[in-house]
Amino acid sequence: MDWLFFGEISLAGLAMGGLYALIALGFVIIYKATRVINFAIGEIMMFAAYLFLAFAGGLEMSPWVALPLAVLGGSILGGVIEKVMIRPMLGESPISVVMVTIGVASILVGLVELIWGADPQLLPRFLPREPVFIGEMYLAPKIAYGFLIGAALLILYLLYFRFSRGGVALRATASDQAAAYSMGINVRRVFNLAWVFGSLAASLAGVLVAATGGLSPQFGAIGLSVLVVVIVGGLDSILGALIAGVFIGWLETVAGAYLGGEYRMPATFAVLAVILVIRPYGLFGTHEIERV
Amino acid sequence: MFRNILKSGRRLAGLGSLVAALTVAAPALAQDKEPIVFGGSIPLSGVFAFAGVHLHAGLTDYTSWINSQGGINGHPVKYVMEDTGYEVDRSVAAFKKITGSNTVPVYYGDSTGFMKTIASELNSRGTTLMSGASFATALTDNEQYPYQFIPGPNYSQMFGIILEYIASQGEGGEKPTVAFVYSDTEFGKDPIENGKEKAAELGIDVVEEIVTKPGSVDVSAEVLKLRRVRPDYVVFHGYVLSPINEFMVQMRQMGLDTQFMGTFWSSDKLIIDKMGADADGYMGVMPYNYYDSQESGPMLDALRAQAEKSDPEAGYRPTGYMQGWFNAMVWTEVVKRTLDAGKELNAENMAASLASIKDWDTGGIIGVPVTAKNMSFPVGRIWRVNAEEGRYEPVSDWIQLD
Repeated sequence: MDWLFFGEISLAGLAMGGLYALIALGFVIIYKATRVINFAIGEIMMFAAYLFLAFAGGLEMSPWVALPLAVLGGSILGGVIEKVMIRPMLGESPISVVMVTIGVASILVGLVELIWGADPQLLPRFLPREPVFIGEMYLAPKIAYGFLIGAALLILYLLYFRFSRGGVALRATASDQAAAYSMGINVRRVFNLAWVFGSLAASLAGVLVAATGGLSPQFGAIGLSVLVVVIVGGLDSILGALIAGVFIGWLETVAGAYLGGEYRMPATFAVLAVILVIRPYGLFGTHEIERV
Repeated sequence: MFRNILKSGRRLAGLGSLVAALTVAAPALAQDKEPIVFGGSIPLSGVFAFAGVHLHAGLTDYTSWINSQGGINGHPVKYVMEDTGYEVDRSVAAFKKITGSNTVPVYYGDSTGFMKTIASELNSRGTTLMSGASFATALTDNEQYPYQFIPGPNYSQMFGIILEYIASQGEGGEKPTVAFVYSDTEFGKDPIENGKEKAAELGIDVVEEIVTKPGSVDVSAEVLKLRRVRPDYVVFHGYVLSPINEFMVQMRQMGLDTQFMGTFWSSDKLIIDKMGADADGYMGVMPYNYYDSQESGPMLDALRAQAEKSDPEAGYRPTGYMQGWFNAMVWTEVVKRTLDAGKELNAENMAASLASIKDWDTGGIIGVPVTAKNMSFPVGRIWRVNAEEGRYEPVSDWIQLD
């Protein structure tokens, strides 16, 4: 066996998995706090990537200014969606809320086609192009630097949730909404905050993934493919999202390299099927017991 | 961004007015004879919209041009279309609606899926000849699809042209090595088996096959596989832009001197516009002359003049535009030959007229006279990107397959 090749493949997979983890985090933060599965997460990613294209390409801003602006734009979009479309649905059936997120996704695709057209796009270059070597192992620079930027945001998030008042409020609401409300936490504001933070993670992932694989109005489909990660990790587990993201990224890449590209998806769905049989609530998800 | 909004707005307004103008005003342009209807399921929205808007523009402009030339044997031409969103069910609905309210001798199908789905109905009706956006190899099976044709070489024939070019680049009796990279879709897989057979026939070693997930993906693992086999050529199929750019950039970063080639939908100027200098040296097989090529001819000049007239601000017209125009040209030729022979305009007679096309001068759209073979036109040329000039330049003669 060529261990150098295996090492290089694994490294590429783990780095891509880091980006999956970031997208999965966007799903999980929103679900954990609000119990809404946001099917528009991929389109929020796409919208942020198009904002980056507009700022860095159209307005010719420095990419390092355009990046935070695009991510900010994506997170504001998430906040607005929550306030205008999701909040009025409070108390409605979860299916109705999910349908609203699917509708939002369609609206965003239409909006992007109207503003930027249907042509595939490449983002302006902003990540270093020099090959990265770890020992003798080659790693594509976009993936390597994308992983580092994503990892930096993950660390910031973990610190925020652990130590800040907002983070504690978010965790408290996620754990018991009624108790959080009775303790004076503004639950509605926490819901909004969850959408903002979830969309922020997704937006950053959107720009980084689009920088690697290009951008088109169909880009949002990647959000759905990361649903596998979220279900494997557990819909309400941040740790699960991180571990499953990295694992699925690695598995997909190794399966693609050794079995062929057509086995990438079957490999991940096989894992999903096994997990659903063994632990239907995901590797790290909460096992809720309903007593009738 | 705001310029883009305005541009998109103008384009949508333009499309609306064009559709209205074509469906309402075309008969008024014309002569006393019954109009000949060009029908179309056109993907103005959805995943194929990037090409659909240009296919539509090519068909629209050709219709205006042919009417300005007196129509077909005195019959005015009317172009009737519906947007399909590139969805098969909507394409079928559009076909039924358009053929239900018009007599439609020729029809544009927006996808291989639609053209396969509608085949049995097309065969039983026997009224309509169809071509479209698809170059699928399967559609040149005359047993199953007797009333459908390909407006150029099919994907297997494109691979054949590419491989003949590659074989001609060998030195000292050595044939270059090649790797195929294609998307995990029906479109992507179409020419691979035939391509491998053709490579074997030409003595070319296919050293690697890479299948990628459609959509946005990281391909660094696939690039690592290619680094191990160091192919002289990589042939892409089943993509429009990504991940071609990533393969090219990463393989060059690794110091490989591999050359990169692609088929029709991977060989538009979009590659140059989006990749810039990184696109330099990329090669594509193209059956039509590019809009901005230095070639000329009466029909190519007429196309450029009509394009300029219909939208002076549009500038370069993509390969989809050329494809739409050429489709309509073939329809016109087929209808004309059928009418000239005093035959009824039905699918069987028109298919026979198509099969009779031999050494047809396309007026510069294709650089050599073309002959229909098995409901396709197996001819093409290899073009290479000159990034500095921002265009494709021919690097081979026109290659015709037997």
